[in-house]
Amino acid sequence: MLLHILVLAPFIAAILMVATSKEDPKSSSRLAFIFGLAFVALSVMLIAAGNKATDPIEWFRIPGTKGPVYYYLYSHGLGAWMVFLSTALSLVALVSARVTSCKNYRNFAIGIFALMGAMNGTFLAADAVLFFFFFEAMVIPAAILIAGFGGEKRREAAMTFAIYTLVGSAPMMISLLYLLTIADNSLLLSLAMALQQLPAGTQAAILASFLLAFVVKTPIFPFHGWQAITYSEAPAPLSAILTGAMSKAGVFGFIAWILPIFPLNMGIVSTMMWLGLATAVYGALMALRATDGKKLLAFSSMSHLGIAVAGVFSLSEAMLPAVLVLLVAHGLCAGAQFFLMGIAERMAGTRELDKLGGLAGNSPVFSTLFGALGVMSLAVPGTAGFVGEFTVLLSLWDMGPLAALVMGFTMILSAAYMLRFIQKVIFGKASGSYDNGPRTSGLEGASIGVMAVLLLVFGFHPAFVTDSLHLFDEEAVEQMTDAGKDASAEEAAEADEGDSEELPQAMTPEEIAQLDSSLKANGFSDEERKSLITQVVGAEAALALESRVQAGLDSAAAPTNEEALNKEASND
Amino acid sequence: MTNLPLWLIPLFPLVATILLGTIAVVSSGGKKGAAEGIVGALAVLFPAMSFAVVAILAYGMPEAGIRETLCNWIDIPLFKADIGFMFDGLSRIMLLFVTGIGTLITMYSIGYMHGDRGFARFFAYINLFLFSMIVLVLSDNLLLTFLGWEGVGLCSYLLIGFWNKDVNNCKAANKAFIVNRVGDIGFLLGMLCLVTVGGSGILNYDALTSFIQMIMTAGHVEIVLPVLSLTGLLFFIGCTGKSAQIPLLTWLPDAMAGPTPVSALIHAATMVTSGVYLLARLGSMFAILPVVLDIITVIGMLTAFWAAMAGLFQNDIKKVLAYSTISQLGYMFMAAGVCAFDASIFHVFTHAFFKAALFLGAGAVIHALAGEQDMRKMGGLVKKTPVTACVMIFAFFAIIGFPGFAGFWSKDLILERLFMSGPMGPAFYVIGLFTAVITAVYMGRLIILTFFGEYRGSKESEEHIHEAPACMLLPMVILAFGAIFAGYLWADSIGITFFRDSLAPVVGSAQAYAATMHSAAHVNPMIFAGLGTLAALLGMFIAYKVYGNARVPAAKGSSAPEGRKATWTFFFDYVHKYCGIIPVQVLAWICDVVVDKILQATQWTLGAIATILGDGATVIQVRKVRLQVAFSVAGVAALVLVVLLTGGLI
Amino acid sequence: MELQPIYIQILALAIFALGLMTAISRRNLFFVLMGVELALNAVNLSFIGFSKTLPADMSVTGQIVPLFSIAVAAAEACVGFAMVILLFRKKESVDSDNYSNMKG
Repeated sequence: MLLHILVLAPFIAAILMVATSKEDPKSSSRLAFIFGLAFVALSVMLIAAGNKATDPIEWFRIPGTKGPVYYYLYSHGLGAWMVFLSTALSLVALVSARVTSCKNYRNFAIGIFALMGAMNGTFLAADAVLFFFFFEAMVIPAAILIAGFGGEKRREAAMTFAIYTLVGSAPMMISLLYLLTIADNSLLLSLAMALQQLPAGTQAAILASFLLAFVVKTPIFPFHGWQAITYSEAPAPLSAILTGAMSKAGVFGFIAWILPIFPLNMGIVSTMMWLGLATAVYGALMALRATDGKKLLAFSSMSHLGIAVAGVFSLSEAMLPAVLVLLVAHGLCAGAQFFLMGIAERMAGTRELDKLGGLAGNSPVFSTLFGALGVMSLAVPGTAGFVGEFTVLLSLWDMGPLAALVMGFTMILSAAYMLRFIQKVIFGKASGSYDNGPRTSGLEGASIGVMAVLLLVFGFHPAFVTDSLHLFDEEAVEQMTDAGKDASAEEAAEADEGDSEELPQAMTPEEIAQLDSSLKANGFSDEERKSLITQVVGAEAALALESRVQAGLDSAAAPTNEEALNKEASND
Repeated sequence: MTNLPLWLIPLFPLVATILLGTIAVVSSGGKKGAAEGIVGALAVLFPAMSFAVVAILAYGMPEAGIRETLCNWIDIPLFKADIGFMFDGLSRIMLLFVTGIGTLITMYSIGYMHGDRGFARFFAYINLFLFSMIVLVLSDNLLLTFLGWEGVGLCSYLLIGFWNKDVNNCKAANKAFIVNRVGDIGFLLGMLCLVTVGGSGILNYDALTSFIQMIMTAGHVEIVLPVLSLTGLLFFIGCTGKSAQIPLLTWLPDAMAGPTPVSALIHAATMVTSGVYLLARLGSMFAILPVVLDIITVIGMLTAFWAAMAGLFQNDIKKVLAYSTISQLGYMFMAAGVCAFDASIFHVFTHAFFKAALFLGAGAVIHALAGEQDMRKMGGLVKKTPVTACVMIFAFFAIIGFPGFAGFWSKDLILERLFMSGPMGPAFYVIGLFTAVITAVYMGRLIILTFFGEYRGSKESEEHIHEAPACMLLPMVILAFGAIFAGYLWADSIGITFFRDSLAPVVGSAQAYAATMHSAAHVNPMIFAGLGTLAALLGMFIAYKVYGNARVPAAKGSSAPEGRKATWTFFFDYVHKYCGIIPVQVLAWICDVVVDKILQATQWTLGAIATILGDGATVIQVRKVRLQVAFSVAGVAALVLVVLLTGGLI
Repeated sequence: MELQPIYIQILALAIFALGLMTAISRRNLFFVLMGVELALNAVNLSFIGFSKTLPADMSVTGQIVPLFSIAVAAAEACVGFAMVILLFRKKESVDSDNYSNMKG
């Protein structure tokens, strides 16, 4: 029920918002605030509730495919936290926009709610088609909001954003459709099984098309062309949501869809990792030269997400919690920074770094928050960013010292650009002619303050975040039902192929068979079984990937790349 | 009484930070700041309470120390770390002077920062600093130490750039943070190296020590030596950043942009010595890494010598002290490099007193002269500010190693250990002794230029010269006492070894191991003492001869050194510029101007191709709507026909 | 003699062809719309014709669907006329050949 509400209710909220007045932002902002608060509360409940799934509802059938498309939602630690980010940032955006863009608050709120619903759907979908539907649906409200409420070059920005992301995911749609003609249905397990039957070349093509969609969304160098202009032209509250929650859809896609479905070989893994690191360095260097405050933040986000992607493809055991903490930290921190930059722009009337300055004297509360969040984005120990970056660094260290060194270099650069940013915006002397727009409102300051406090709390007790993953594991094992039949059959099929890259099985066939018989006695229906299989595979595939990579290594006749060698060396 | 929980120690400054931070933010909107009396009282009370707790704990500490695990911090696959504290001989000494001197300097700051708009903010930062520093020295594992490590770096950044209206201060602060960040990455990678060797549990100091002992007894040292050497080097890079050693030392002179109490507390007494603390803490590991130890000794020696020379050329009173700090830190590293960790910590201890006294004295001088820092405009202040002058002169005797004063005991000890450290020992000793002479020269120059001769400033400013208020003088006087008597905790020549004994449980075994590696002929310690005294006297004599009667050149514009002096002083700034900053800027330029433009051009080209294709497609678009409809109907008909004839395309 | 379904289909085809030709060949927008309506109704007729071929209980479905499509057609006519009126206001003409915005 919680899942349905989180996905569908934002759309209903968006429709209800139509009833409020267009001219007077008072009533609409109050209603929007209440809705936003309710969604945040629900998302916190979702995190607390742990592993959950709805009953799959048959939605429609795509002609030419074997199985139906389900309206089927499930949440695990990763998705639930991403939903938290999306709802929390939307709430703060609604609060912040109250002061910033009063001209047509109602429509802004409608757009935000629609975006929130689409994002929640993306993070909770268990069905590939449903996921893709929401993944694409996110773009539309975002692009409309940019075009409607953005800066001077808003049309160009909205156009670039929409074209990049939609074109980026078009190949994914085609290959998904192709996969569906083979697979039994569009759930994770059947997709993975269907993929196994394909020749290697086709597999690679499908993988490439999936990767492209996520790489553009994240964005990863060299597909980041849309990012700087979009983030800088979008209204600041929207930029915060875009970077804090929507860009996570890319990283989420890597973890939740790419890793379980595709048997990755070492070449692809290391390529993706180095692409992530290249993004990190590139973003940091671009941020060093940026003259526009929001562009600087955009590149800083790009740099951090590059690190996150590199972390994902380090595929170490610590990867999942590490990346999760990093994403949560980045979502809160970068989001808050965009809000603050929006406030700075509103107060000063410009976002050119050279024209800003001296806000510390003008507005102490604002600059305290600004400085604090700037420092938090530097991954100072005690903040969540540190836990994330340190554990990702640990994962990368496994892949080879060079990768860790590059990340270390990025961390130094991040200090350089972020301190320059802080100095240019709040320190020094005021350049004189400011617009003196509305200052930080109480609610706005408080909500950003709460985000800062959350960052500290997660920094000292990351178990709040990482435990949601543990919860998932245990419960998944408990709920492990008679998935055995399908899974063991599949395993047998694979064994026949003699393929060393088998689908990972955290549980042995015997264990599964045991559970199978015990649960059959309890009388679970076929549909329930299927849903449970999906959940379990989703979790285990990610965890067991390490072993898969190892297997791939052993079979590789000539491990040409250095990482493979390093990896072997470090294992010795 | 010893059952006080350890977490009380960092708790007090943390509470003060939160309180004062709230006061600072709340009161920032009004015309006047918060009441200075309340803020000052709060700011001093909490560190003083910390000090009291430390004192009580220190008094009744069992020999093995107290350990306390507070809670779990990070718990993920592959990595676990706890928040735990360890109170042993080493932490005890560090904590005693960190909280003690911290309290004194906070008290001094009340007078120094009087009337400043950011009064409450300043004390919030100072308390945050004390919290971080306490965590640094009290933690029982490297990760938590790193929290304090970056925390003190952050506070250093905040306090250097405290007067943030001036962009130059902010730039100095940025520089300090970024240069420290380079070192911090070394620290981080060092931890990862350790984790590779022995899992995440090894980050705990006790576990590390027992691990090292285990491999030593098992005779596996050679196997892990390469990785451990790398680890040691990486940690040493971290130390060079925090403790301003070659090559990461350029930030410390610039850091003098901060308020003077900050320079005394952070950039002289406590934070910059955390590198030495870390070396001593990891002593058991460093003791088995001869290569790394040699590197540390050489770097320490070069730093000590270079900074002493640079100190000779400075005109800014605080810059002299900054270079002097770097030079003294070099001594401590030299000592650590020959495995004399107790001697190096002893020098940390005495140095904290006399350098803090010197800085506070300099602060009082600057306060008296309403912000003037150029020594060429001072002179003859001994008559106007006698107490300050006395404090500074006592501290001066301590730093040059005048017999009986604190520095004499600790510096002699270091030189002695250097001499006995093996075949290269005598060479190290000679350079160390020579540096001691230079130390006496530049410190003598500082004292002479500031307190003796004629006043060289303008007439109007002379009338305003006044002695500092009591709340500033009291800490100075206490510190001056420390500068005189702190050395008697370990006066080898007169048979007091209290300090060494209290450190022995922590670093004793490492040093014993190192001592077995080489044996040197025993030399009578009195010879070292005599030579040390001679060096101090010689330096004072030179200073008196050269600067005593010489005409001081009139101050021009900036107080920065010029010409060849500048080349020497800013040598490492140039190195950083050409090896670090410019390459990064070039890279950034390439990314921004070349790569990004190429990408944009590609994007534009693709867009243009799409547009051109679209234009082409409009050609087949007919003008009349009716015709379009007809065509589409014909198209449908054709499709139906085809499907019918072929029986379906697919 | 009962009415053969095929005749209904022939009639429907004829009406559909007439409607289509009207829609294509007339320039006046109102006539175009009328042609479209005619074609639509031809399809309805065809539906009913086919439903006649089924047994009685099943043929009901075939008779209901045209009712729906008539309702849809009414709505479509409303929207269509509204659009035509708007177009007329803008272009001052109901000649479909004047509307050539589609070409670039």
